[in-house]
Amino acid sequence: MIDLIIFLSLLTLGYIFGRLAENRHFKSIIQREEDLREILTFSERLPSPGLGPVETTLVDGNVVISIDYFKRFAAGLRSLIGGRVNAYETLLERARREAILRMKAKAKTAGAKQIINVKLETSSITKGKKQQVGCVEVYAYGTALIPSTQ
Amino acid sequence: MKYKNPKIPEGINVSKEHPLKDFFAMLIGVIAAILIVIVILSFIAEYMVRFIPFEVEQALAERFQQSTASQFNQVSNPSNRHQQIEQYLQQLANQLAKAQSLPEDMPITIHYIETEEVNALATLGGHIMIFRGLLEKMPNENALAMVIAHEIAHIHNRDPIVAMGRGVTVSIALLAIMGAGDGAVSQQLINQVGLLTSLNFSRQHEEEADALAIQTLDRHYGHIKSADTIFKIFMEQENSLNPPAFLSTHPLNERRIKKVTQHPSSKKAGTNKPLPSWMSDLLQPLNLQN
Repeated sequence: MIDLIIFLSLLTLGYIFGRLAENRHFKSIIQREEDLREILTFSERLPSPGLGPVETTLVDGNVVISIDYFKRFAAGLRSLIGGRVNAYETLLERARREAILRMKAKAKTAGAKQIINVKLETSSITKGKKQQVGCVEVYAYGTALIPSTQ
Repeated sequence: MKYKNPKIPEGINVSKEHPLKDFFAMLIGVIAAILIVIVILSFIAEYMVRFIPFEVEQALAERFQQSTASQFNQVSNPSNRHQQIEQYLQQLANQLAKAQSLPEDMPITIHYIETEEVNALATLGGHIMIFRGLLEKMPNENALAMVIAHEIAHIHNRDPIVAMGRGVTVSIALLAIMGAGDGAVSQQLINQVGLLTSLNFSRQHEEEADALAIQTLDRHYGHIKSADTIFKIFMEQENSLNPPAFLSTHPLNERRIKKVTQHPSSKKAGTNKPLPSWMSDLLQPLNLQN
């Protein structure tokens, strides 16, 4: 019985705080994406033609985000029956956008207008260990093109 | 060529559906599926396990015997007093087994255990444990016979092996489900669901055992006086601060008392057979020791 009470309170706490954090994060992501809108990102390996002289530098951004207890449980249930794992979809969406935003922020400080050759790496930190809340790292990196002042 | 940064609409990768709605739909579905699987498996196990011969059950019980004995700190070198009580209980059990027409190849072995617990239980291989706490509370032989007859009825109905077979089957199934999922998934949840159903099943067995025990008493003594004493004792215990642990697996005591008083044989006249006079002498000094 005690186990059940502990479990239910963990679930409730996980839900409340997880949802608060997620909503706040999404709001902040949307706001900052708007702020960094003028920096263009390309997956192309080469700069677009007619860009003029540029200096290049590596820019990167990485983020680690964890899911909460509630989402882990929901995802566990989902793994029994199959289908869209909503719990993990928001996790990865947040991680990807946040990593790109951090990379863009670095590019902005360097004075860049474009980032080319942008790549994303995703890795699970918990590596599927049992009884652990899963967390994910997303690493975004690319080449920032800074217009040459010469 | 002019490049633009288009604004991507929200909610492509993230569904707008409220997470709780999704969650409860899944939860209810999974619990229902688990319950159905458990119920089906229990029925199959209960049916199949009766085909296990009693000798196999006895051999199985021998392996558990050692651990059970130490669990109830059974004395390995019993005193005369202990042996005398155990012998008396064994004789009574043999008479009751005969009255219940228990097959000859299902011998009953009584173990008298000197702890305060007000309890008696039947386990695999025809072993019955009677605790001193229960014996002390018995006003006469008829009440004690009801308890022993109830436990013999469990063995007669092969309830211990059925319960074990069901328990093993259900836990293997639950492990398999957990293995299929995340592993960390819903472990607590699954445990809780498993417990509730196993409780429900043993209640039915208790009622069957009660009915058979009343019948046995009627056959042995010619009346069923004092058959409800044990339930009254349990009811008292329940009302006191320290209810016996196994109580929750038993049907409500009031219902059980009613079953006894409504039994057609309850109108038969008869007197209670007292417990042997040496019994109270043997139980008394022990109380002082503790």
